[in-house]
Amino acid sequence: MSLSWIFLGQLDSIEPMSTSKKVITREEWERKLKDVKIRKEDMNKLVMNFLVTEGYVEAAEKFRIESGTEPDIDLATITDRMAVKKAVQSGNVKDAIEKVNDLNPMILDTNPQLYFHLQQQRLIELIRIGKVEEALEFAQEELAPRGEENQSFLEELERTVALLAFEDVKNCPYGELLDVSQRLKTASEVNAAILTSQSHEKDPKLPSLLKMLIWAQNQLEEKAAYPRINNLSTAVLEDPTI
Amino acid sequence: MPASATANRPEELVERLGVGGAAAEGEALLKALREVKNQIIGNKTKKLLYLHLGAVPRIVSVLASAEGGGDAALIVQAAAAIGSFACGVEDGVRAVLDADAVPQLTRILSYPDEKVVDAGARSLRMIFQSKLTPKYDVLQEKNMKFLLSLLYRENENVTELAASIIAHSCERHEEQKALCDAGVLQRLVKLLGGPLNQRDACLESIEAIVRNNSEVAQKFACIDNGKALSSLIELIQDRYPRTRLLACICLIAIRHASPCYVQEMQIKTKLILILIELLEEPGKAGDEAPFALTNLIMDEEELHKQAISINAVEKLCNFFYKGPIEARRLQGILLALAELCSKLEKCRSQLISLQVLNFIVDALKHDCTDVRTAACSCIRNISRSLKNLSAGHLSSETVVVPLVQLLHDESSSVQVAALGAICNVAVNFATRKSVFIQCGGVSQLVQLAKSMDSTLRLKSVWALRNLMFLADRKDKECVLMELTVSNLASLICDSEHPIQEQALTLVSNLIDGCGDTFEHAFAEDSAIINALTRILHSASSPGVCMQACNQEAESTNTLVQVLHLFAMHSLRDLIRTFYRCIEMLPIKGMFLLANIAAGNEFHKEVVLNCLVPPQPNGNNPSFIIKFLQSKENLLRVASVWCIVNLTYRDGLCSSTRVARLRDAGIISQIKTMVNDPCLDCKLRVRMALEQCMDFENSEHVH
Repeated sequence: MSLSWIFLGQLDSIEPMSTSKKVITREEWERKLKDVKIRKEDMNKLVMNFLVTEGYVEAAEKFRIESGTEPDIDLATITDRMAVKKAVQSGNVKDAIEKVNDLNPMILDTNPQLYFHLQQQRLIELIRIGKVEEALEFAQEELAPRGEENQSFLEELERTVALLAFEDVKNCPYGELLDVSQRLKTASEVNAAILTSQSHEKDPKLPSLLKMLIWAQNQLEEKAAYPRINNLSTAVLEDPTI
Repeated sequence: MPASATANRPEELVERLGVGGAAAEGEALLKALREVKNQIIGNKTKKLLYLHLGAVPRIVSVLASAEGGGDAALIVQAAAAIGSFACGVEDGVRAVLDADAVPQLTRILSYPDEKVVDAGARSLRMIFQSKLTPKYDVLQEKNMKFLLSLLYRENENVTELAASIIAHSCERHEEQKALCDAGVLQRLVKLLGGPLNQRDACLESIEAIVRNNSEVAQKFACIDNGKALSSLIELIQDRYPRTRLLACICLIAIRHASPCYVQEMQIKTKLILILIELLEEPGKAGDEAPFALTNLIMDEEELHKQAISINAVEKLCNFFYKGPIEARRLQGILLALAELCSKLEKCRSQLISLQVLNFIVDALKHDCTDVRTAACSCIRNISRSLKNLSAGHLSSETVVVPLVQLLHDESSSVQVAALGAICNVAVNFATRKSVFIQCGGVSQLVQLAKSMDSTLRLKSVWALRNLMFLADRKDKECVLMELTVSNLASLICDSEHPIQEQALTLVSNLIDGCGDTFEHAFAEDSAIINALTRILHSASSPGVCMQACNQEAESTNTLVQVLHLFAMHSLRDLIRTFYRCIEMLPIKGMFLLANIAAGNEFHKEVVLNCLVPPQPNGNNPSFIIKFLQSKENLLRVASVWCIVNLTYRDGLCSSTRVARLRDAGIISQIKTMVNDPCLDCKLRVRMALEQCMDFENSEHVH
């Protein structure tokens, strides 16, 4: 079964060289697209899913009222989730941890890696503001026991503590830990964990649909010349190049 | 020390928790409780610290009094803290159970405030995740009612709790049937359509309800005309790895419980494919996938082939090259490889050519008991290959030394597994037997052969027996010197039949081949022969069958309990092994006697003495007569061989021996067997009679 399929696939890719690709004109293409029916409610759900997952709580609330689309999650929990995310992004990690625990105490208890990363972020913030003594104490009391439980945590801890050894931390080998990107990384990890705990998908569906569109276009490209969308933000159909 | 830290010192915080006395009240109590909760969540060290300070009973008493006062915020914080103590630390679970937190948490499930209900349900879920938590008795009517009411609640946390209570508590057939009859399965199937976390919890509890129960599994398969089953089949292709895994585990359980479902090769192949793909997943889904795979293909050669055809061995072995593997996953991978190597030579040779043996040997030294055990099983099954054995892959010091070290392991399950591997590897140490002897293997085996634990005794005698197999004279003597004749004699008379059988084979291997080794059988006043005679006597006595059956019934009862978690066929195999043992014992013993009777005049005399004692003990007929009348073909053949060797005309005493056999009624018994239904037996009978006739004829002439 699979063998014959591969064989046909090879034939397909050879064919265009000998014979020309099938050409689909813009009129024909648009006519065909017209026949495809998409339900408004589905569109709205996708938009709502995007707003909810990305945490645009006010927009989601307005959209709910205007379109009548019910979100699959309590909108209040988005506010909480966003507050956690924001706390990490602005360096208030302890605050973020307490908020997560109020939201659902199981998240950090059943997710040692996330808990470690949050504690690590706390350490990074202490180092950033130059509280060397406090940082050392924190590393020893809170993080070292986690390192004993898990080898990879220990390695990460060592990298983090190494920051203390450098005068110019920004330019030291592990300087990227002090970068904003590290905060964003931790924040998105927390965000994903909260979504998972709420039985919600970590990623919005819209990007996957667009990925699928590009993939399908590339598949078709091999067999036919047709008007394709190259710019996703404008979604303009571009005439086929023959 | 920072100011906040001094204010929140654990000792002081604990002081403030509780009711009355030095305890805080109102806002201050809430604050202290919240602080403790935030310190312990995710932090094992802190949990242990607060446990030792006695925080748990204090928090539970706060919960109780807050319930009275209806203070929702306090209840939520207390419940969350209790749940966290029960997560990840065994002492924590014990403390929570001892403080009687479960009934209190259960009560708050009926609060009108959803936040309180959520907190209670989450906390209880943590508690019911632990093995230490007692099962919830679903056979009690009021409990079943309560469980059902939880399953029908709108709150996702509550339905998840109900599902996890079922997964935790449902083990016995009666419980499974009761849950099924109460309509729990239908409800769980409905909940499968709900949110992700609820779905996973439902899959776990469905598995617990159908596991090993064909009746319930069939009922499940018939729900909505098979729609429940098809929804499971859809879920094995779900987007979420954990859901895929749990759905696979569920289907495997149904397949094992009820052989008529999930039997199409197509679906089995799909399961194998999905489980192998799941190996790549990080976290729990990937860790558990190899266990499910092992369970799926267990003992089915067809599925082994299928797995090998989709490169299962290669994919499993690749992990060894990807750097250190976490213990649970490593154990799973080793067990899956062990299963795959249990039947097919192709798999074993693939494993050797992928050069992962070193990794497996390293796993013998792993910190985790389960990993060491799994590594032993792996080596045992690789060494089922004669090719691998003869190529010497497994008899080098790098393999043998760590295996022998495991004989000293503190865990008896590791010892048993190591013995299993050594049994196989020992068959063909060839020139390397000395490696094994030098690194202290024999002395440790001899020690274990004296163990109180019968499994250890059995396996070590088995290993010694294999070590004796085709060994040269020097090695045989070396082993016997460690073991000593008297130990061997007592092993022959061991209380366990399988051990007796192994001990007899050990003697056969010992005296096999060159004539000198025969002498060992007669050392220490023929201790070995005497032991042999004793067990043959008792094997022939009329009570023995009954006794054996009683013993079997007894052990079967305990077995049934132990094997509740396993598939039924393993129990059947065990019973079969047991029966075979009882049947084999006299057969082995008689062949052994026959072999000894092939020796010189002295040897023959000893054998004859144990068949026909010089001082007759009452009117008891010799045990050999019973054996000659046995329905077991092999036992008759072995017994007649013994007579053939005793009556062989080569020495002066042959005629006296024939006379003694005749007087004991043995010859006349043999005469009745000239038309024995077993051809082999018939031939030997004629041989024996011809030899006896010669004597009788010559006597007449005389």
